Amino acid sequence: MGSGHEGVARPGMSGPSLRVLRPHDSGEALAALLRHGAAARLAAGATALQLDWAAGASRPDLLVDLSALPELRGIDAAGGSLRIGAATPLAEIEASPAVARAAPLLCRAVQTVAAPAVRMLASLGGNVAGRAGCCLPALLALDASLDLLSEAGRRRVALADWLSRAPDPASLILAITVPAQPEGAPATLRKVGLRAAFSPSVVGVAGLLHLDRGVIAAARLAAGGGPVRPQRLLRSEAILAGLPPEAVDWVGLHAALLAEIEAPDDGLRSAGYRRRVAANALVAGLGGAGLLPGGRSPARHRPVGGCAPAGERTVSRAADPAGWHRRPDIADKVFGRLAYLTDARMPGLLVGRILRAGRPHARILAIDTAEAEALPGVAAVVTHRDVPGLNAFGIMVQDQPALCGERVRYVGDAVAAVAAVDEATAEAALALIRVAYAPLPVLDTPEAALAPGAAQLHPDGNLRREVRVTRGDAAAAFATCAHVVEDTYVTPRQMHGFLETEGGWARVEADGSLTIHAGGQHGARDRHQIARLLGWPEARIRVVTSPTGGAFGGKDELTVQPVLALLAVKTGRPVRLHLGRAESVAAGVKRNPMRIRMRTGCDAEGRLLAVSVELTADGGAYASLSPAVIETALEHCCGPYIVPHVEGVARLVATNNGTCGAFRGFGANEMTFAIECQMGRLAQAVGCDPVALRRRNLRAPGSPGFFGQAVGPSERLAAMLDAAAASPLWSAGPEPAEAAIGVGLALNYQGNGLGSLPEDRAAMELRLAADGAIEALYGLDEIGQGVQAAIRSAVATRLGIDRSEIRPVTGDTGRCPDSGSTTASRGTFVVWEGVRRAGPAFARALLDAAGRRLGRRPGDLALGPGGIREARSNSGRPLLTFAALASGLAPEALPRAGAAFAFPKTDYTAGNARYLFASGATLARVAVDRVTGEVRVLDLHQHTAAGPVLDAAAYLGQIEGGGVQGVGFTLTEDARMQGGRYLASNLDGYLMPTIADAPERSRVLALEELDPGDPYGPRGVGELGIGAVTPAIAAAVADATGHWPSVAPFSPETLLRALAAGGAA
Amino acid sequence: MSPPRFRLNGCDRALSGSPDRSLLDILREDHGLMAAKPGCRIGRCGACTVLMEGRPVTACLVMGYRLEGAEILTADCAEAGPEVAVVRAALIDENAFQCGYCASGFVLALASLLGRAPEADEAEIRAALSGNLCRCTGYASILRAALTAQDRLRAARGSAGAARPHATRPG
Repeated sequence: MGSGHEGVARPGMSGPSLRVLRPHDSGEALAALLRHGAAARLAAGATALQLDWAAGASRPDLLVDLSALPELRGIDAAGGSLRIGAATPLAEIEASPAVARAAPLLCRAVQTVAAPAVRMLASLGGNVAGRAGCCLPALLALDASLDLLSEAGRRRVALADWLSRAPDPASLILAITVPAQPEGAPATLRKVGLRAAFSPSVVGVAGLLHLDRGVIAAARLAAGGGPVRPQRLLRSEAILAGLPPEAVDWVGLHAALLAEIEAPDDGLRSAGYRRRVAANALVAGLGGAGLLPGGRSPARHRPVGGCAPAGERTVSRAADPAGWHRRPDIADKVFGRLAYLTDARMPGLLVGRILRAGRPHARILAIDTAEAEALPGVAAVVTHRDVPGLNAFGIMVQDQPALCGERVRYVGDAVAAVAAVDEATAEAALALIRVAYAPLPVLDTPEAALAPGAAQLHPDGNLRREVRVTRGDAAAAFATCAHVVEDTYVTPRQMHGFLETEGGWARVEADGSLTIHAGGQHGARDRHQIARLLGWPEARIRVVTSPTGGAFGGKDELTVQPVLALLAVKTGRPVRLHLGRAESVAAGVKRNPMRIRMRTGCDAEGRLLAVSVELTADGGAYASLSPAVIETALEHCCGPYIVPHVEGVARLVATNNGTCGAFRGFGANEMTFAIECQMGRLAQAVGCDPVALRRRNLRAPGSPGFFGQAVGPSERLAAMLDAAAASPLWSAGPEPAEAAIGVGLALNYQGNGLGSLPEDRAAMELRLAADGAIEALYGLDEIGQGVQAAIRSAVATRLGIDRSEIRPVTGDTGRCPDSGSTTASRGTFVVWEGVRRAGPAFARALLDAAGRRLGRRPGDLALGPGGIREARSNSGRPLLTFAALASGLAPEALPRAGAAFAFPKTDYTAGNARYLFASGATLARVAVDRVTGEVRVLDLHQHTAAGPVLDAAAYLGQIEGGGVQGVGFTLTEDARMQGGRYLASNLDGYLMPTIADAPERSRVLALEELDPGDPYGPRGVGELGIGAVTPAIAAAVADATGHWPSVAPFSPETLLRALAAGGAA
Repeated sequence: MSPPRFRLNGCDRALSGSPDRSLLDILREDHGLMAAKPGCRIGRCGACTVLMEGRPVTACLVMGYRLEGAEILTADCAEAGPEVAVVRAALIDENAFQCGYCASGFVLALASLLGRAPEADEAEIRAALSGNLCRCTGYASILRAALTAQDRLRAARGSAGAARPHATRPG
């Protein structure tokens, strides 16, 4: 081997090692390539290579690193054309003034590749060499050529020629030469992806017209990117040659492009869509934008205006600087020093890994762990045989084995786990566990699972739950309706996508108890489930769940805790375990995919007469909270409207797909999508505006709820409609040429709390800590939502002290009372109600203690910022600080007071019904792209009424964040499965919104006032923000295109067709 | 041959272990620097963003062999330059994060942008942050903080300019 620097990789205790050669020149690189053949790989940035590795490709024996070769780096602009070294990072090209001057098309193309941090590493040569890169259309339009080095020597080949031949593995690209783009020449470039930025390519195009004395002397048009083969479009180019640009027959060119572009289907977008979008983009970009379809709904009924409700205010720091408080945890988060539970490291900490089924359905014939156990460095291997208690968990039904022994029902099922001295050893050990499976038929749709003769996944059958609701006689009522609309609404398998994947650590303490630190949403219930698995008393287990790096319902069910517990107990040593993203995708719960067939009818004036709804939800392999999800969905099937005749059924079906369960909105937002779109369509049918139709049907405050149950006070639905009617969005902005603009509205009405059937209790405690801090202990979890800020706000307000004096203690069963789950928009109320109940007693205890110390009557003293004050004095200094009070007291004498209470419930128990609701109206203004059919949210205004705002930042964050999660649900997110397997295993294929996908402008407004005498205080807003986003965007899309999208995420393909057909799609 | 070295938060460090180990693992497991987070390990979430020669890279995609002679700055570093300080203060004032797992990546990506392109417009800010996913906030708070940080940096430059008698400032 040459004199280059080499290093050797040894992943794990076994397996092949990877060597890295850093050659000194291209000749040495080529020699290595020739010597090692397929065992060697060239890499500059190695970004694509590492994606391949993550997707399962094996690592080569030898990596030849080109990144530091001077002859492959840099941009040479001499002689009119650009010569760009193949290993030059894309970021350097993007920032180069020479490239911006000589080849602006290339500069723009580079900016469409991945994201800035990736472009620091990725090279232009790598983008070309993979033959799927997003720069290829631009390079083809620019007539680039490649300088190649092979055994035969150096040569220059036109890029188009190089692409037309099979790859030569024994050559390397030295440089890309790009002729200068003539100044003023018409040019266009467009990459169409699956979201607004950092996206795989759907198709990319580039076009460049060379003009000579007013006519097109030469045209170069190209398509490519991602699955689309890079291609010059010669026949279409020929149509343009010799014509003055103003004489181009754009219709003819469009037809020629459609006929010429080759593109594949890939399940995400059809070949026809790719061709059409490519043709549209080229024609529009080169001057034929007028050809694009107009698309506009035939009649737009807009509300005629009105007055925003008195007291509604914008929630923002700017609107109320004095009411804006720093989150207790924000500085630690911004400084990167907050210790997440997956960040824990300590001497002797073992690393755990879980062996997943990796197949959707199979019988386990045998599990052999002997080899893994014998591997040096392995501390323990656990299987179902190591579960001492009940080998099953599940919040509602215990049907999911902690470790499977007989059968696996989905790809993410856990079969065995190891604890080892390091990550590599743990991984090597996993590979040594032998599991023999006999495949079973895969039930990959609810239909397959309900078919006669289908294998039964659980003893209670594949129909895990069926819930019905009937009121009046819907069938007869439909016969009398003047207008009936019906559609089937389909919602995606949304992934929670918390940035911190499931994980944590556990250890057996010196006293024999077990402590588990793992992100979660209800430590006490996690403890209950773990105790059942171990057959231990709950008191012997402590569960710490805060801080958690995002949850959204996805950490409500147990995740890694069972395996952590088993490994810690078996090894007697501390063990950590942190799921990789692919494992999180495979194993974690998702939002239930739903099909909601809804039929809605009204009379000629638009009064609702009947709703019929049939919901089928894919539950995946295990129940988790899905039975409650479909129940909640059905509870919201009439929205906040009075409907005399209702027939509804919701079915939860077990399949071999990924397990589903809780996700923000919990079925309500899915159902709100259906009913709110139905309302919009009925408004059109009746010929009135969307506010008027809703107003005509709105439930009266204080009237019985959907089930006839009593509901709580302070309903603000009419006010939300007033706010919607008065929205400036209805008349905002002119219509640009390239997009159809629409505005839409949806209402929501989100239940708070677990409902009337489940136990829903909370406890908390206030106490003076030895250091003088006022501790507020709640078993709620800080999952990012700001419960700590809410606690500070509620306690400070109630006690009249400063927020900074309060130390929230959350998410630790060893320290906090059980406050119930951090779900169902219940935390805010629990916080507020707890301190309402415990506050007065705690204040008395503080004043009594202070009175004793100061020799004063407690009645002459008062609490204030800083400590204990003279009750009748307004002067600043306290008589006794909290720290001074605490310092003189024995630990057991420190004042404390607690509260235990039930979440407010309704009287109805024939089904699960809510008592407290928050209301909202969401308005979306969208642009539907005439080239692609893609939807961009321009404005998202969320009007909310959820009682007093406890903490402005937390409130704003919950609504804004829920809103964008809703945008993802609506436009880009779906964890698609086929044959029981996820099609995307990581965040390169599962596409959550980036900052470029977020609304251009957003506003959150709050109407805080409660009815006189309303004892319930602030309502929760954890779910309100996502609740009505999808139907608001759907209504806006319908306003823009005339077509009501009913399948989320909305298909740009369908919308493009709708634009072309003037609404029919 | 002496082991390859790199600069980490201003200190010389030796590299050890396999050349294909990721910088993310090197930071977290060898140096106890936990600000860079593993969110996807394929460069798709930005939670492990660090600065390499002053520019943001995702540490998970930087293999150890690339580090020889490199200058790495992580968000663990308390004193990381004027842009970082101003960006942090603005993000704190705006309460710009919720769970905070993505925070370090945004701090460095944004500070690097405002250092290179102080007058970046909103579209450029969005483009520069498009590789950093946040699942909690919906990004509006981060954008507000970005604009606040930009204003404060502008003001600081303005006052610094005013303090120099011969400084020329754009009208």
